Amino acid sequence: MMNQLRLRERSWTLGITALFLILGIWRSQQLPHFGSYEIKTIILGAVPIALLAMGQSLIIIGGGINLAIGAEALLINCLTAKFMNHTSFVHSLLIGILGLACSVLVGAITGWVISISGIADIVVTLATSFVIVGLAMVIFPIPGGGANIHFAHLVTGGGKSFVFPLFAILVPYLVIWVPLYRSRTGISIFAIGSNKDAAFLSGVDVTRTRIKLYAFGGLFAGLSGIALTCVTLSGSAIITIANAATLYSVAASVLGGIALAGGVGGLFGPILASFVIYFIPTIMLGYGIDPAYSQIIQGALTILVVLAGGWLRLRAKRSK
Amino acid sequence: MKAILDSINYRIPKSMRSLMGILVVLFVITGLVDHYFFSFDSIGNTLQIAAPLAIFGAGQTIVMLTGGIDLSLAMTATGAIYLISVKSSSGLLVAITWAVLFCLIIGAINGVAIGIFKVNPLIMTLSMSTVLIGFFSVGISTFLKGSSHVPDVFVTLSSGYIFGPVLSWPLVVWFIVATLVLFLLTRTGLGRLIYSIGDNATAVRLAGVKVWKVQLASYILCSLFAGIGGVILGGQSGAVSIDLATSLLLPTVAAVVIGGTSIMGGMGTYTGTIMGALILAVISYLLSALNTSEALKQIIYGTIVLSLAWTYARISTNVRRH
Repeated sequence: MMNQLRLRERSWTLGITALFLILGIWRSQQLPHFGSYEIKTIILGAVPIALLAMGQSLIIIGGGINLAIGAEALLINCLTAKFMNHTSFVHSLLIGILGLACSVLVGAITGWVISISGIADIVVTLATSFVIVGLAMVIFPIPGGGANIHFAHLVTGGGKSFVFPLFAILVPYLVIWVPLYRSRTGISIFAIGSNKDAAFLSGVDVTRTRIKLYAFGGLFAGLSGIALTCVTLSGSAIITIANAATLYSVAASVLGGIALAGGVGGLFGPILASFVIYFIPTIMLGYGIDPAYSQIIQGALTILVVLAGGWLRLRAKRSK
Repeated sequence: MKAILDSINYRIPKSMRSLMGILVVLFVITGLVDHYFFSFDSIGNTLQIAAPLAIFGAGQTIVMLTGGIDLSLAMTATGAIYLISVKSSSGLLVAITWAVLFCLIIGAINGVAIGIFKVNPLIMTLSMSTVLIGFFSVGISTFLKGSSHVPDVFVTLSSGYIFGPVLSWPLVVWFIVATLVLFLLTRTGLGRLIYSIGDNATAVRLAGVKVWKVQLASYILCSLFAGIGGVILGGQSGAVSIDLATSLLLPTVAAVVIGGTSIMGGMGTYTGTIMGALILAVISYLLSALNTSEALKQIIYGTIVLSLAWTYARISTNVRRH
């Protein structure tokens, strides 16, 4: 059973890697000149989605879903864009850390409310998404702001090199996800994701694990918000941005092979899936096609991928 | 007197009484904030605002009772009224046929994917919504070019008054929808099956029911109600745009949840959803009467929805332990 699960996971990651490579090569053929700078542009376009997708995937692995994750990222985007404007590097860095603390706190509160209220994750996060976007609007009513340029270079890199943007994805993956995956908390997260009652009966503190789960989700959302500030050097509290970001994060998680039932998956697939989601409209724009078509393709692709998954499962059940 | 009270207690479940209590309290508070609220004009107006929300809520209640959710409902609604407006130049009947066909197709695709291929309802309908947004954004400038004006018949149907400032046409439509849904859920075999597959799909399947057929029927019904709600909403605003119903999507889920329908399925009533829609309509009146900023409105709205859902979870016995 376990081997089959691993196999399925591997083949899925292989599939999404192939899709990523095909689209990547396609995009590179479109550009007149393809070098380090072009790679940097591509990665920068995908960084905010990738970080958000990592947070969403983690939460889905833990058996939840956060429809307010886009709002969390937007809140941190607005917070940092407001207070980092015209500041020194150290000042900006401190605000960045403070912003991350805020998003972790917001995530933890969300997890706590879900646990003690006994209301479904969807309903709670639906309600908090209103509250969080409202907060972002209070903090930052008019779009604008900025950040210390040297701080922004931590994500974007000053020159043509694509190393810094790549680090913006790899460092959170290696520093947060990999240790978490191997830790006790990580095992608990997988446990409550696959069967809450069984986890509870084997001594996992479900409430505490869920609070940690949503706090980590918030951490990734915060990173995504800061990355957005660094890339765009501005913030804008608009609810459609938050909702679109949440949608992208769910789509990337599903495309990346995270089962919505929870308890299985890793964060590598969703990162690649974020690039796929970024590539589709970019490639279409390259051909001068209305980007609205890309929404059709992205939606249809998600449906097809999940349909294929359902069909495979159906066939596996029949052949048993 | 006591006998009457007892009979009320007996007939109306505790949760419904508390919903009524919440509605009355909100009603009084709103009246105190804005004295104009205690007039037939305002009440008629609030009911008109509640009508499309409650009609969407009818569809959402049905699919949520089966344990699903429909997040493509807003775009289905927009699509229906869009088709009616654009195709109205070739006759009203043609336009209505287009809209009904559209709703049937969307509902059927959702139902087949969720019922037969076991796609998660959230993902399926979310993706469907994305596809529809893309479809109509492209359509506006190409194959769906035409009038964005809603035909007069539907403007009357969605905002015209029959008698006095309270009884309006949308209320009649709402009443018909409500009667149909209440009859379906409480008096028919399909209604029982909708509840039972939400409660325990495996048991129902083992009892010999084709679960996918019930799911298919539920999603088609939901799309049809979305279409009706869309027509009312479009008529109220006079012209159609692509984000016509978007802002009502999350409130429909909220109305159903506040009304006590479990998002896991199998538990809940349409009467509860009606109460939920009325409560949300009064809240939105209250928020606009308070004349606060959009930001504060969002915060208050979210907090109220969360606390109402929380209260409901507390008073109903079926609380998840962890």
